[in-house]
Amino acid sequence: MSKASFVVRRVLQLGVTFWAVGTVLFFLFRLMPGDPTSFVVSAQMTPEARQRIIESFGLNDPLHVQYIAFLRNALTLDFGQSFHTNEPVRDVIWTFLPNTLVLMLTAFVIAYILGITLGVFTGWYRGTNFEKGTVVTALTARSVPTFYVGLIVLWIFGAGLGVIPMSGMGTSGMDGGWWSRIFTTTFLHHLLAPAAVLAFYYMGYPLLIMRSSMMEVLSQDFIDVCRAKGLRERTIMFKHAARNAMLPILTAAAIALGYAVGGSVLIETVFGWPGIGREMVRAVLRRDFPVAQGTFMVLAATIIILNFVADLLYGYLDPRVTYD
Amino acid sequence: MTVLNVSDLEVYYETETGPAQAVDGVSFSIEEGENLGIVGESGCGKTTLAKAIIGILPDAGYINNGSIEFKGEDLTELSEKQRRRYKWEEISMIAQSAMNALDPVYTIREQIVEAIETHRPGTGRVEANEIVQEMFELVGLDQKRADEYPHQFSGGMRQRAMIAMALALEPSLVLADEPTTALDVIMQDQILKRIGQIQKEINSSMMVITHDVSVVAETCDRVVVMYAGQIAEEGPVEEIFGKPYHPYTMGLKRAFPNIRESDQNLLSISGYPPELIDPPSGCRFAERCPLATEKCREIEPEAHYNNGLRSYCHYADAIDDGFRARADDPATWADTEAARAIRTMKEGTMMEGND
Repeated sequence: MSKASFVVRRVLQLGVTFWAVGTVLFFLFRLMPGDPTSFVVSAQMTPEARQRIIESFGLNDPLHVQYIAFLRNALTLDFGQSFHTNEPVRDVIWTFLPNTLVLMLTAFVIAYILGITLGVFTGWYRGTNFEKGTVVTALTARSVPTFYVGLIVLWIFGAGLGVIPMSGMGTSGMDGGWWSRIFTTTFLHHLLAPAAVLAFYYMGYPLLIMRSSMMEVLSQDFIDVCRAKGLRERTIMFKHAARNAMLPILTAAAIALGYAVGGSVLIETVFGWPGIGREMVRAVLRRDFPVAQGTFMVLAATIIILNFVADLLYGYLDPRVTYD
Repeated sequence: MTVLNVSDLEVYYETETGPAQAVDGVSFSIEEGENLGIVGESGCGKTTLAKAIIGILPDAGYINNGSIEFKGEDLTELSEKQRRRYKWEEISMIAQSAMNALDPVYTIREQIVEAIETHRPGTGRVEANEIVQEMFELVGLDQKRADEYPHQFSGGMRQRAMIAMALALEPSLVLADEPTTALDVIMQDQILKRIGQIQKEINSSMMVITHDVSVVAETCDRVVVMYAGQIAEEGPVEEIFGKPYHPYTMGLKRAFPNIRESDQNLLSISGYPPELIDPPSGCRFAERCPLATEKCREIEPEAHYNNGLRSYCHYADAIDDGFRARADDPATWADTEAARAIRTMKEGTMMEGND
């Protein structure tokens, strides 16, 4: 199979996956106990007024009609309006998703650069105290939940020493567009703690994978040949060993990034970060179906698309990959 | 001129139970243009010997004693940096399994050019590509395929690519570690012939490491027979395989099929080589040797010189054609300490089975 037809087939698969995710989400929220109108409707309302609201949301239509309308709108990326604020869901996503992405990507890039580099060194200097110490630290980082570390960091550096802000992004009330707001010291100051806590957590995974991948590559014959060729140690370490050891980690990284965005709920809640994860939790609690569906869909899409990217990336980086 | 002179070399591996004496007091030399074969069964130290010579011992391995003189310079005295100058430029290797000896993520050309550029920094791209082209012609590969990746090559082609890389800098010494084991017999023959031709052209010496006696017989001038980290016997090919003076050589020779005497049964030497962490004090082959006496088990044999051969056997001087004829008979090999021990063990298990 050629690369082009591989891509086409994967894109078609993407479509099917999106449909399946959307369907599951749609029915899942409607199976959930609780009345979506209970938050917008007050006790003093007349039954007629209540009925009008329900009708205006389309909630009295038969389920299959609602489902078809949902799918048709989803095709045009229209997820409806919030039951709660009447704002279009698209606007809600546009407000909160960039905040999540900037936090996650910052943490992720730091974690992977540090993790991969440390993984290369721990794999190379196997059996040394440096390796043992790093591996223990990485395992610890992987095992402690981020919200717990987050709370401790807030307690020590926020409440105790007062060197970091306790909550939020610090940009509310600022003028200018989103980009001009995030390049401010206030914003970076707010970003520091949650990004560091996340980076510390994410770092363990690439580090440990890279280490074991390195050890496997280093036992192969071509490394002996590289040494016999008289290449410098650093050349063998990075150009040959790490380059080969990177292959499994790149797929893992793309997938992990998807889950990182999806798993933003806890850290955003702890640090009061106005991101999409925190917004999703709120929407679910309010039975705000459109917002919950929309935000869930965005997080699922991130995971699905990054899986797709991982596949393509692998074919590009490893000449041995065949498309069949 | 002597290209390589190894004397009294000891290479040990650090293990949890003490050092394993993988190479223990080995001395030999290789002259210019000469091919030396190193034969012995798996674990006899032949690969370790090669790694020590080229300078790629693993972290646990170290040279305990002895010297490796290359054109008069003792390589064991050099720093890592000084040592690098000798690698590939002077001593290159054809790795044990060509299948995995090339980096899978770079093209063949990139890997050959890397060797050239590392040692000859002034070389331009055009010049380096010329060398690649020349080498591909020499080993009989289509130079259009130089920009392909190793996985696009067949086993035989990969081996040729490996040879092309090994010879690209026209080194004085090539260490070929099982150069043809991964190949079928026809390919094996072609590759060996090709190596021989190229070698004549660039006048390099070669050390061929193999457990396959026929490869040595075909390519080498002299042979070192190794056993359990030591030299058992050393000398010209015809003498070693014609009139050996060491019982191990006789057994090893008869463990491979011989075209001229096709009806002969192959012989197997019962038992295993001794542990190298705490080797026996006497002759290391004693347990598996049909000639062994009390003296062999206690005293390490000295070198005995007969007919151009150097043989480490107490009874080398006494070995005659009569004994060689007996050693051709598998029955003789059934009467060694190891063979008797195996028989006793088998009988023991059979008796247990009857209970």
